[in-house]
Amino acid sequence: MDAKYLALAQMAVGGGLMGMAYALVAYGFQLTHAAGKAVNFGQGELVMLGAFAGISLSGIGLPYWLSVSGAMVVGALLGWFVERIAVRLALQQRNEGWILLTIIVGLFCVSLVENIWGREDRPFPTPWPAGALDFFGISVTWPELAIAAGALSIMTLVELAKRYTMVGIAVQAVSADPDAAELCGIRSRSAISLSWAVSGAAAAFAGTVIGPVTTVGPTMAAALTLKAFSVAVVAGLDSGFGLVIAGVALGAAENLSGYLLGSGWREAPGLILLILALALRPQGIFGKKIIRKV
Amino acid sequence: MLRAENLRAGYGGGDAVRGISIEVAEGSCVALVGANGAGKSTLAKALCGLVTPRGGKVFFCDKEITGLPASDVARRGLCLCPEGRRVFGPLSVEENLLLGAYPRLSSFGPFRRAASGDLQRIYAMFPRLGERRMQQAGSLSGGEQQMLAIGRVLMARPRLVVLDEPSMGLAPVVVKEVFEAIRSLHASGMTILLSEQFAKIALALSDHAYIIERGSVVLEGASKGLAKNPAVVAAYLG
Repeated sequence: MDAKYLALAQMAVGGGLMGMAYALVAYGFQLTHAAGKAVNFGQGELVMLGAFAGISLSGIGLPYWLSVSGAMVVGALLGWFVERIAVRLALQQRNEGWILLTIIVGLFCVSLVENIWGREDRPFPTPWPAGALDFFGISVTWPELAIAAGALSIMTLVELAKRYTMVGIAVQAVSADPDAAELCGIRSRSAISLSWAVSGAAAAFAGTVIGPVTTVGPTMAAALTLKAFSVAVVAGLDSGFGLVIAGVALGAAENLSGYLLGSGWREAPGLILLILALALRPQGIFGKKIIRKV
Repeated sequence: MLRAENLRAGYGGGDAVRGISIEVAEGSCVALVGANGAGKSTLAKALCGLVTPRGGKVFFCDKEITGLPASDVARRGLCLCPEGRRVFGPLSVEENLLLGAYPRLSSFGPFRRAASGDLQRIYAMFPRLGERRMQQAGSLSGGEQQMLAIGRVLMARPRLVVLDEPSMGLAPVVVKEVFEAIRSLHASGMTILLSEQFAKIALALSDHAYIIERGSVVLEGASKGLAKNPAVVAAYLG
């Protein structure tokens, strides 16, 4: 194959694999939106905190899998915490203050990280082999594969739990009709808290798989929130399948525009996608039409 | 079994329920009769914890339950089948029924097997739900959704069922079917509080009734007597 096209394909594949991480973070948006009609605009900060928690846990000598699990527990606690302190009260008063509050909690997390871990980017240690795999001339590194495999398995696990456990079915009931769920004896608030915890754990997990590819620093958060938000808006807030497609497409587009137009243009596709999606199809390409009740 | 004392409740400015006292004895069927907007649904919601009362008290099985969250009230056996059916549209018929038994089922274990006895009982009562058990609840007809809503509330093994406007928006032939089900439920010994604007059927079905107008009880008594009361006949049965 022509070397030029091969380089483009290489860029697209690398970006696409990274895009699976965007899809996973966006999936966290979907989870909390389905259950409680709110999302965490500090989701990127949870990704970052998850990555730092993972680094610190492996720093004290824990094996890789335990560090990742520990980071997910931290993420779950943080997700639960954000809902309790920032979102619940605002939603009870039927105002949109939660948007600002989640952003503020996120900013607070960035300062916290800078104070605890400093401003430098750090590598994330992994047990994966150093080399790259070669698929028809396109090389894929193990950490990149870990992103895709990890993101897909987390999303699959949560989706299976939603369908085949009573708790999962109850969470779906709460997203369909919280009052009717209460009448069945389901505590809607607990179900919403659970969604936020799972969403936080997914974000932290995303941090532990992104970290080895991009290195980990306090600046990774803001860009990630925006990218994941673009993915969620493009895919629609109710389509899990759409997230993966949109995430992979965005990741690939970023890498390609960085390669073709210069690295300053890397972030452009995400913003353009977001603007186009909001203007042309607010319910998302894969989403169902939102019917607003009067 | 259920007793409300001087209950007041509402949304926003005014009260939709203005000091209502009612009582439902164990094993009886009590009807709340009144026009659309009289406050029957707000009363039903306030009894079951979906609306927090602004005044008055609710007792269930001799314990005060005023202001408890709806999920706790439901767990005590006071279960509301809400106005407008409120089935979980995206979920299957069987999942809807399983959710009715949620407090009793283990979260991760073989919950379908644990509930199979109750499911069979509901499918025997409403064979059409059994035929459609894997279908999305949102795709059912209005009558089938009403049966599903009643089935779901029965899955909870309630001690008292509050049925709020079970005939709303249904074709006459389906209304008959739904009330047949309620009648046999009552015959089997279930305690029922029925809120219904279709006064004729409600009075025929119930033992005792309260006529509600503008948030207050204006008349009460044995249903048979009320059905012959000239004021009731003129206003509701004419």
